[in-house]
Amino acid sequence: MSAPENLARSRILVKAEGLSAGYGSGRRDIVRDIGFTLREGERLCVIGANGCGKTTLLRVLAGILPYRGSLAFAARDVDGTLASPDADSLVERSLLGPKEAARTTAFLAQISSSYFPFTVGETVMMGRYARRQGGLSGPSPGDRAAVRAAMDACGLSDLADRPIARLSGGQLQRAFLARALAQEPSILLLDEPTNHLDLFYQIDLLGRIRERMDSGLVKASIGVFHDLLLARRFATSMILLDGGEIVAYGSPDEVLESPEANRVYRMNVGQTLRDLLQNG
Amino acid sequence: MQSVLKNPLASPFTLGVSSGASLGAGLAILFGLTVLPAGLVTVPAAGFVASALTIVFLLRFSRAIDPRLEGNTVILAGMVLSLFLNAALTLFSALSKEGMNRLLFWQMGSFALKGTGPLACVSAVTLAGTLAIYRYRRELDILTFGDDEAVSLGVSAGRTRAVLIALASVMTGTVVSFVGVIGFLDLAVPHVARKAFGPAHRALIPLSALLGGSLMVLADLLARTLIPPLDLPVGAITAILGTPFFAHVYLSSRRRDR
Repeated sequence: MSAPENLARSRILVKAEGLSAGYGSGRRDIVRDIGFTLREGERLCVIGANGCGKTTLLRVLAGILPYRGSLAFAARDVDGTLASPDADSLVERSLLGPKEAARTTAFLAQISSSYFPFTVGETVMMGRYARRQGGLSGPSPGDRAAVRAAMDACGLSDLADRPIARLSGGQLQRAFLARALAQEPSILLLDEPTNHLDLFYQIDLLGRIRERMDSGLVKASIGVFHDLLLARRFATSMILLDGGEIVAYGSPDEVLESPEANRVYRMNVGQTLRDLLQNG
Repeated sequence: MQSVLKNPLASPFTLGVSSGASLGAGLAILFGLTVLPAGLVTVPAAGFVASALTIVFLLRFSRAIDPRLEGNTVILAGMVLSLFLNAALTLFSALSKEGMNRLLFWQMGSFALKGTGPLACVSAVTLAGTLAIYRYRRELDILTFGDDEAVSLGVSAGRTRAVLIALASVMTGTVVSFVGVIGFLDLAVPHVARKAFGPAHRALIPLSALLGGSLMVLADLLARTLIPPLDLPVGAITAILGTPFFAHVYLSSRRRDR
């Protein structure tokens, strides 16, 4: 199967070819021979059964795990412009410096915490790390504005001085989304970001991410989802992983209606989702 | 240390770094080692090398059990290592009667330095070390959220942690080998400072240093004046005051985990 056609003309942001990765040296690869193309405006969702390598793939994309094969990004300059506008000048992930990578991708984990009681404002300001000047200087007006904008976008303006330990689950995840947005990345990586949230906050969080993408501030996203209904609602394209390999790749409907999906989830996925929506 | 290892119980003392330094320096005292041209700084140099070896060994060992260095594995390992190193020092000191007294008093911690040379050396190392660590204040804030997030925020987590641990070991090693082991303040002061001024390292690093220094002077004052004309070992004062504090931190951190 091939990538969806409707975005075929927009700019390529990520291109993976023959990508394999695992934990530790000499151990079996958790993901194998992954290939996909992410274009501007795309919301790519990765689905699959537990242990299929979804989170591992995302951790590779986030630069947390090393990889073999090719994973190329359209890197972003400090001023926010894309350094490489065409597919020929994509930069290999492993060649990006840590700060450069953090200006290209931001990572929203399932659950984050710090033992120490940082405030919401301090936490969101950490998103500016890759864009701030070193040395002894404090945050610049630009940093403050970006933090304020990210907190506004996440509905946290009144909570800047609240310690993150005293936030509800929904507020906490919004604080980490704000931190990711403060990085001003071109690509947002989402690792089951709604996993521990009530339904209202799940829809709310994904809505805020879509808003941010619709306004062009975030160019594309790659998300790992456990909940197929949420994935279908959010995705513009979809990858189904099984045993660390891509077994279906295309539009959400193509993937969810595929025989591979039925095999992986051991049921008629398309029919079941329709039933859930009609009877629920 | 607490921020780097994401552990509220971490300190040079609980990780065995102080014991490592004291074993190294102790051996140098006992056997009267003098490495020319090191001369005067032999004891501190031995302490420093031993403390560096200790932390490297401890981190290797803990990582083998718990690759992500989370939870209290590293503290337990540090405590065990600390006991082992202290026992080794005791054994060695039993072998050499004449060195024992000198060693015992040095081990308890005392500021009764001789001359301004050692003072200048300790001051220079701690000042330079504190400034160097201060440069990493933002990385320290971010590291408390864990390596994965540090990396995705643009911090090279592994390298930064290694540099910070090395800096802390240098400082601990130097100070311990000049004045002996003075425990518990290193653990307690960051907690007090964090309670009072918040967890951001921009304020925490200089204020911890100031607060620690001030409390140290107070403890030293107590040690010298509590039972005149005796000059009590200041390490004993801080330990007696610090142990209940350690228990409190441990118990309240366990409660939080529930």
